[in-house]
Amino acid sequence: MTDIPEDEAASGSQTGNHPAPPPLPENPIDATQTHVVAEFKHDIPLTTCRIDPTGTFVFAGAEDFHVYRWNVSGDDTSKTIFAGHQSWVRSLDFSRDGKLLFTAGYDHRIGVWNTADAAPKPINMIDAHKGWVRWVRVSPDGKLLASCGNDNLIKLWSIPDGTLQQEFVGHDRYPYAAVFHPNGKRLASFDLMGVIKDWDIETGKEVRSTEAKFMWGFDQKFRADMGGARDMRFSEDGKTLIIAGLTEVTNAFAGVHKPMLLLVDWKKFEHRHKWKDDAYKGMVWGVCEHPGGFLVASGAPQSGNKGMLWFLKPGEDKPFHSVQLSHCARGLDITPNKRQLAVPQFDGKLCVYQMTAPHKAV
Amino acid sequence: MQREFGCNHIDHEISRRSFVAGSATGAAAVGGLLTPAQAKTLKSGQKRILQIFLQGGVSQFESWDPKPGTKYGGPFRSIPTSVPGTHICELLPHTAKRMHLLSIVRSVDLKTNDHRIGRLRLEKGRMAGEFPYIGAVASKYLAPPNPPLPGYLHISTRGIEDNTNAFLNAQHAQLKLLGVNAPENLARPAGIDEEVAQRRNEFRRLANERFAGRGGQPAFTEAFDSSFEMARRLMKRKSLFEQEPSAKDVERYGSHPFGVRCILARELLNNGATCVKVTHHGYDTHAENFNFHLEQLDEFDKTFCMLLDDLHDSGMLESTLVNVYSEFGRTPKLNQRYGRDHWGASFSVAMGGCGIVPGAVVGSTNADGTEVAEREVGGGHLFHTYLQALGVDTSQDHDIPGRPVPIGDPSVAPIEELLA
Amino acid sequence: MPPRRFQTIVVLASMLIAGLRYGAQTEGADFNVPPPPPLPTSIAPAPAEQTESQTEPLRTDIDFLIRSATPNFDSLAAPVSSDEEFVRRIYLDLAGTIPTSEQTKAFLKDGSPVKREALIDRLLGSPQHARRMQYVFDEMLMERRVGTDIPATDWQAWLRNSFRDNKPWNQLVTEILSADGADEKLRPAAKFYLDRKFDIDLVTRDIGRVFLGVDLECAQCHDHPNIDDYLQRHYYGLSAFLKRSYLFTDSKSKKKMLGEKAEGDVKFTSVFTSEEGQTDPRVLNLPGIPDPEPAKELYIAKPAGKVRGIPAYSRRMQFAKAMITEDNVDFRTNIVNRLWALMMGRGLVEPLDIRHSENAPSNPEVLKLLANEFLAHNYDIRWLIRELALTETYQRSSITSLNATQAAKAADAFARGLLKPISPEQLAWSSVVATEFTFVTMNAQEAALKKAEPEAAAVKIHDPLWREETLRKTLKSELDVVVARFAGQGGQKTSFEATADQALFLINGPNVQKWLQPQDGALTDRLQKLDSPTELAEELYVAVLSRPPTDDETTNVENYLQSISDRPTAIREMTWALLSSAEFRFNH
Repeated sequence: MTDIPEDEAASGSQTGNHPAPPPLPENPIDATQTHVVAEFKHDIPLTTCRIDPTGTFVFAGAEDFHVYRWNVSGDDTSKTIFAGHQSWVRSLDFSRDGKLLFTAGYDHRIGVWNTADAAPKPINMIDAHKGWVRWVRVSPDGKLLASCGNDNLIKLWSIPDGTLQQEFVGHDRYPYAAVFHPNGKRLASFDLMGVIKDWDIETGKEVRSTEAKFMWGFDQKFRADMGGARDMRFSEDGKTLIIAGLTEVTNAFAGVHKPMLLLVDWKKFEHRHKWKDDAYKGMVWGVCEHPGGFLVASGAPQSGNKGMLWFLKPGEDKPFHSVQLSHCARGLDITPNKRQLAVPQFDGKLCVYQMTAPHKAV
Repeated sequence: MQREFGCNHIDHEISRRSFVAGSATGAAAVGGLLTPAQAKTLKSGQKRILQIFLQGGVSQFESWDPKPGTKYGGPFRSIPTSVPGTHICELLPHTAKRMHLLSIVRSVDLKTNDHRIGRLRLEKGRMAGEFPYIGAVASKYLAPPNPPLPGYLHISTRGIEDNTNAFLNAQHAQLKLLGVNAPENLARPAGIDEEVAQRRNEFRRLANERFAGRGGQPAFTEAFDSSFEMARRLMKRKSLFEQEPSAKDVERYGSHPFGVRCILARELLNNGATCVKVTHHGYDTHAENFNFHLEQLDEFDKTFCMLLDDLHDSGMLESTLVNVYSEFGRTPKLNQRYGRDHWGASFSVAMGGCGIVPGAVVGSTNADGTEVAEREVGGGHLFHTYLQALGVDTSQDHDIPGRPVPIGDPSVAPIEELLA
Repeated sequence: MPPRRFQTIVVLASMLIAGLRYGAQTEGADFNVPPPPPLPTSIAPAPAEQTESQTEPLRTDIDFLIRSATPNFDSLAAPVSSDEEFVRRIYLDLAGTIPTSEQTKAFLKDGSPVKREALIDRLLGSPQHARRMQYVFDEMLMERRVGTDIPATDWQAWLRNSFRDNKPWNQLVTEILSADGADEKLRPAAKFYLDRKFDIDLVTRDIGRVFLGVDLECAQCHDHPNIDDYLQRHYYGLSAFLKRSYLFTDSKSKKKMLGEKAEGDVKFTSVFTSEEGQTDPRVLNLPGIPDPEPAKELYIAKPAGKVRGIPAYSRRMQFAKAMITEDNVDFRTNIVNRLWALMMGRGLVEPLDIRHSENAPSNPEVLKLLANEFLAHNYDIRWLIRELALTETYQRSSITSLNATQAAKAADAFARGLLKPISPEQLAWSSVVATEFTFVTMNAQEAALKKAEPEAAAVKIHDPLWREETLRKTLKSELDVVVARFAGQGGQKTSFEATADQALFLINGPNVQKWLQPQDGALTDRLQKLDSPTELAEELYVAVLSRPPTDDETTNVENYLQSISDRPTAIREMTWALLSSAEFRFNH
């Protein structure tokens, strides 16, 4: 495990009442020096996390149905509860200005909240899907919210009033994730069976459809399908759709499979690169693009507690760096300044990592 | 709801008539084993069992004993049912509407987390040892003397071969049907018509008679004989396996394997089967417990309810015990793969129909579902309950010469509050 | 050197046995079979003038202990089997099929007083015996598991060669438990581990069941709730030998093998009591085997991505040693019980893998004697099987005129021969022997060989090993279908299950129909050529049931032939009937 340098650990959870350290000049980005800078603790497994657009807060869903908010800086380790859902929240997103938080609940509802409230209450709870709401994303112009759920539908809602604008019908099995293209005109979605669809926001019509069947497995013995995306993002330039999940399912019910990232060339709508870790049984739970030309992915193993952060150059088969986590990752997000990463974990911890050399002890 | 028989109506009438005649003698033969009140009921017709085995261990949290909002409750919500006050998991919306036909036992503790042992304890009603399965016991005491079909039929695609009849005659052993496929070799080969078959079989019978006369081991030779007898009966019922299910049935039950198996199960029950077990595979969810239960229970819920409706609408439910069970439940604690592991210590089964008080909930688990809170029962209690509901006095010894073995585990009793 | 046993009582025993045997001869006349032949000297009472240093052969002591365990044994005991009973039984048990017509006739005609012993010895030395043992031990060890890492043919060849060489049991087990799959020569032996995917819990449980006769499954999570003898530490003691080992895939060959780490201990917690325990590797109640002081270098090869870990001190390599040590009585008790069950039709302990104080052996003295003698004879399987085959107990008739209760008592006391359901392999091979489809097959093979290797053929076609292997290879895929149909739950067992689908296979299945076709060399073809119905009946019964027909049966055959105009049809039907009869289905 990465050692926590004393000065930075002091600002973390262990001794939260210490005075903040004096400001130091920032070290340059160096992923190979990634280290923990803050650790927040919760007593229930976390399900996902996101950092708000201002880089102030990190939010995480937990298996106790609540969403929790911490200060990314770690200066204050107290958490704020967002209570209102009656099931797990597996996906979060924010309005462009960061003032609103949207939560996708397995209680069939989408929650709308004020991000910064001291005593948060839902502004709105939208009965969104029949069955779980698996994913929410805000459009680049901030006017639309996309959701997908277990009714196999993708829906678009207007922000902020939460009225239904559009329904995309076409997936035969559960869509796991849906993300807007940076140009704001298209939406990509990915389902249980590895089907990727490209939708026109304006018309609600399916434009293209392709498959990544290798990210799905049918277990003959148990007669069950396993697949879907655990995270999905567009690259900032909109040229690549990045899908995180699994491949080579050999035993669905024991969760024996390998972690996979798929990079889809959006223009050609074909697979550009497939990355998997043959030495690691498990799942990729989160992925982020870094402007420095690399990807960061977080993973959870099939057994044991060796969660993982992989640092990869797109197109390369081997990560150029990896960091072992203290437990299974359940997601991943990156701060707006692209210096820090947040990882929610199965053991209830939320860890913040910094992709620079640690500061020397003062 | 209008009931659709997929099979020929004339066939049906014939089989009904012969079946009523058969069961009257059957009742007389087993009269000694019945409780007096039940003996009368049994005389009016054969009783039978439908077992739906959710293989691998369905999660009690995601089915009969939801605990939403608790530490281990998972993400699913509970929904009200047709029985006021009884809630089940939202994954069973169709079943919820028919809850007044069923009862739940929420306090089963099998004291094992092993697939095989769990199954054996439920099927045999004993903690250990060689005893016949419920289906074999039903075949012995409920089937008429010359049943039109083997007494204990199991529709499944795989699974371990067990000695299901133990010390009972092998004619009561489970006959496994591979999915809805007819047993292989059901058709006579070219050149062997009924007459040829009979005369060569007569020659065979003479040989067997002589062999049995040398004082062999009757259990072995009778088992061998009865396998031929069953083969002959199955050949006569060949058409049962050959008819395509109607489009309407497929639409109602589903076109997936479990759907068409349940259609076959209904036909077998309609045609005089005594115990039909349908296995629905795929509940051993050590990973992705919730996603897999979504899939599996979606299949189970609708299909099971169509079968339940058909039994109910035809009046068969009154003489058919329906039993939905697994070899154990699943752990309260979620593992790191969103899986639940094996858990035999506090889980649920459901039952209904013949002889069972409907709409009841027996027993409970504690708030987090980690242990039985009240009315703990094991495989033995359930075994007594199922069979007594069908009129078999399980406190009696088996009707086997020189074998004073109680039918049910004498150290436990049936769940009286469930017996109608 | 064989230990001294109860010499003082041996004389008495011999006298009792002699008395029984003479009684038996007259009794035999009650049955519809010819009286038994004069006593073979090999199982005659030992000479009375034996000295202190001489001991009785094991068979004599077995028979004595079997007799003396049951009051009124004589009133229950069946006589010695007739030659017809014996020849079929011994062929099935030792060669794995019924005898051919010729073999049966030759044996029945043989007037030698030692012909039974001679036949036993001949069969034990035959390639068929190695094949039979291959089948038995494949089922016992792999329990009809379908594995992919070690090809079944390699494993079976290894087993067959082991039995051809009469490899002692302790050596066979050592090779299995020490195999890591890396050594090509011993790789087949790694099937036990590798085709259980080296699932520690499965392997631990199966080692307990198959090699020690105890099923510790429940003891994985807690001390056994019903069996006081089975403790959680027993389970974890066994698994501690293996816990450091892991499945490794060789990057070059892509083959699976076992690697091992140098560290790691076994801890366990009872799910009932939450008590924690820890154990060194140990076999049941034997002392634990602590690790030695760690060497400077922990590894010969340190485990890494592409490096198979080989520790300086391997716990797994201690397993075989600990298993076969003389102190491990369970190890030899298990195998002698299994071999007894194989020959006698029922274990002294039943079920074979659930031996504990509450489920004691039906005759503990015999079990103890077998275990001790097996050790004294260096785990020699062939020797033990020979001794068992030579006992009175084995050679008793299965025919009895006792009533059902008494007959069951006689069976419990091993006072009569028991029916043994023939194994799927025995059934498959006996069917093609009975229908003489083997001749059809071999005729074709011989012709092909003569064409391909005209010079070598003359010698080769008389080579028993070539004949055996050619026949097996040619018919394998066809007979695998039969085996699959009749194989239920895997594992050595003595119970009998008959299912409707098996009966359907015999009634309507294409295989049986094929064997009944009167091709050149087939039984039905041979019978068609016989004019005399009596002769036809004789040949039919000897071929299929390994005995001549009774007078009634001859009459039945004559009637059948008369009632059906088409003679070939009648022959096929009667052959089918006997092939599907109970008498054929059991070894009796």
